[in-house]
Amino acid sequence: MGGGDADAGGEPAAAQATLHIRCTNGSKFAVRADLGATVGTFKAIVADSCDVPAPQQRLIYKGRILKDEQTLASYGVETDHTIHMVRGAAPPPASTAPAANQEPTTAAPASSPAAGLGGLLQNLGATGAAANSGGLGLFGSGLPELDHMQQQLAENPNLMREIMNMPLMQNLMNSPELIRSIIMNNPQMRELIDRNPDLAHVLNDPSIMRQTFEAVRNPELMREMMRNTDRAMSNIESSPEGFNMLRRMYETVQEPFLNATTMGSEGDRNSNPFAALLGNQGSNQARDSAANGTTTASDTTSGAPAPNTNPLPNPWGPNAGSAQGAARSPPATNTRSTTAGGPGGLGSADFGSTLGASGGGSDATFLTQVLQNPTMMQMMQNIMSNPQSMNQLLNMNPNVRNMMESNTQMREMIQNPEFIRQLTSPETLQQLISFQQSLMSQLGQQQTGQERTQSASGAGNVNLNTLMNMFSGLGAGGGLGVPNAPNVPPEELYATQLAQLQEMGFFDTQENIRALAATAGNVHAAVERLLGNMGQ
Amino acid sequence: MGSEGSSGPVVVPRNFRLLEELERGEKGIGDGTVSYGMDDADDIFMRSWTGTIIGPPNTVHEGRIYQLKLFCDTDYPDKPPTVRFQTRINMTCVNQETGLVEPSLFPMLGKWEREHTMEDILTSLKREMSTPQNRRLYQPHEGNEDQRVEQKGVSLRCVIM
Repeated sequence: MGGGDADAGGEPAAAQATLHIRCTNGSKFAVRADLGATVGTFKAIVADSCDVPAPQQRLIYKGRILKDEQTLASYGVETDHTIHMVRGAAPPPASTAPAANQEPTTAAPASSPAAGLGGLLQNLGATGAAANSGGLGLFGSGLPELDHMQQQLAENPNLMREIMNMPLMQNLMNSPELIRSIIMNNPQMRELIDRNPDLAHVLNDPSIMRQTFEAVRNPELMREMMRNTDRAMSNIESSPEGFNMLRRMYETVQEPFLNATTMGSEGDRNSNPFAALLGNQGSNQARDSAANGTTTASDTTSGAPAPNTNPLPNPWGPNAGSAQGAARSPPATNTRSTTAGGPGGLGSADFGSTLGASGGGSDATFLTQVLQNPTMMQMMQNIMSNPQSMNQLLNMNPNVRNMMESNTQMREMIQNPEFIRQLTSPETLQQLISFQQSLMSQLGQQQTGQERTQSASGAGNVNLNTLMNMFSGLGAGGGLGVPNAPNVPPEELYATQLAQLQEMGFFDTQENIRALAATAGNVHAAVERLLGNMGQ
Repeated sequence: MGSEGSSGPVVVPRNFRLLEELERGEKGIGDGTVSYGMDDADDIFMRSWTGTIIGPPNTVHEGRIYQLKLFCDTDYPDKPPTVRFQTRINMTCVNQETGLVEPSLFPMLGKWEREHTMEDILTSLKREMSTPQNRRLYQPHEGNEDQRVEQKGVSLRCVIM
């Protein structure tokens, strides 16, 4: 029907054919090319006839995106046929990227596992922000996105081994009791294990735990285990009773397991400590299940999956993650801003959402619990006792780095182990949290009436950047207040905000300045305003 | 002679209709921002088709290429084809899990007429991308064609392991 396949091997394929190229803007031109030539060669011919360079061309024929290494004939292209062309972004140079990524890890000495881990966290945060994930990166939602993790680990296969060889992880592996207690602290997991005694055996068997950790450490072994599991599953699935068994297993074990680790129980989200880690995702799942009517595990398996009719929230909105229209409204602490540049470039680590901006909700106590966890305390002690890893942590965030450079006393203080011990004591943390909450409420009162209507809690989108800007004046002898500079031109006054807007894809500087001036430098409100203008 | 008797419209047989659509796809007739063609040249029933939609300008979809699978069963064009997005997309009429375009939420499939073509479906979907409820929807990042990984499958493996 296409007719091209028959010609692929014979003489006609070598003949010159006239092909029409159609661009997205409607323009159309013809080129002559050899049908036996590769798509890559053909792109070079097309580049001569138009202003789109070959690497940026994306060619589409009969609904297929043409791959550079294939020939035109292999796609069934014939003379007088039309190929659509889209201008795409130039692909990044493949050879340089891995080298750049590997350089910091090779530079870090083998004795400092925290350095590698810090690099991973920084990279993950960056990918979370850069990949347009709208605050769903590593620290945006609490758990990493699978593909980001895989990408990072693929780029640096030794990283997992490095993490697993850390003394902390070794201690974990040698104390199955601790792992069991962590898992059993989750009420849903406890209930799941009560219903499935087999799982309890797995948790009680240190050899299985060790084997799992070993697999995590060794990517080859992991791949082999996955392959074996896949094969076993396909064998089981082929027999009718086996399929039913898998289905039962899915309903009784795996679906509850997913629920236990991603969302709270029906009544109370706070009953699941893991739900707090997931931030918005848990509430969004709850919203979807409320809207679509699929609540129980058996429903999800028996019926066809109901479509998600709810549009995802505007990632730049003031209440980006809150689930509007949910059956039960999530706590106000769930709202997250997507401003890049939390600690160490970790995407959207918003102070308000981390420590509970409104009334010091469960997140504050959760944070305290996490920090009082013996495992966590040991890890913090390891990092803080190692000056190299401490320096790396401090240098991750440019704001902190500037602060340290302008305040030598502060650097000395932070490198003083006694000061660190006092700083991380539960009492100090509690005081810091209460100070942060009062600061939030004061900043909330300063907002204009318009902004107050935008943010339901009145605390506004105050994130780490705002606080950093406030404290960065300390080195220059300024007070704690936000510097008041009426004579500064708007380009300088809103330099950081303008840079953020540029990164988001708003390139009209004058329009950006107008929006920022109208919103008193609030990036989120400015984005809303700019998008509103664009829509009109 | 017998022409006076047949007053109703001429019903084009399925194969003729699909051959006509195939030719339009190859020649690039019609809207330049959608493209479609047959998957397997040897399939005499011409059931499986691939389509692409180039994201409309001034929307979040701009510059993106969305790949779709269209399956025209033996009752096409009396019944609409099954349309499934291969590329991940966030759209009100598309099932997030499977990529299937829901006929109940997409009028062209819901109120299907015999005269509609696959090109009409693709252009209508493209128009749908420009509607106020879809033009600004946050989209998954690119580069995940054919990566509709079943979360259930992944975690089931973990449980077994």
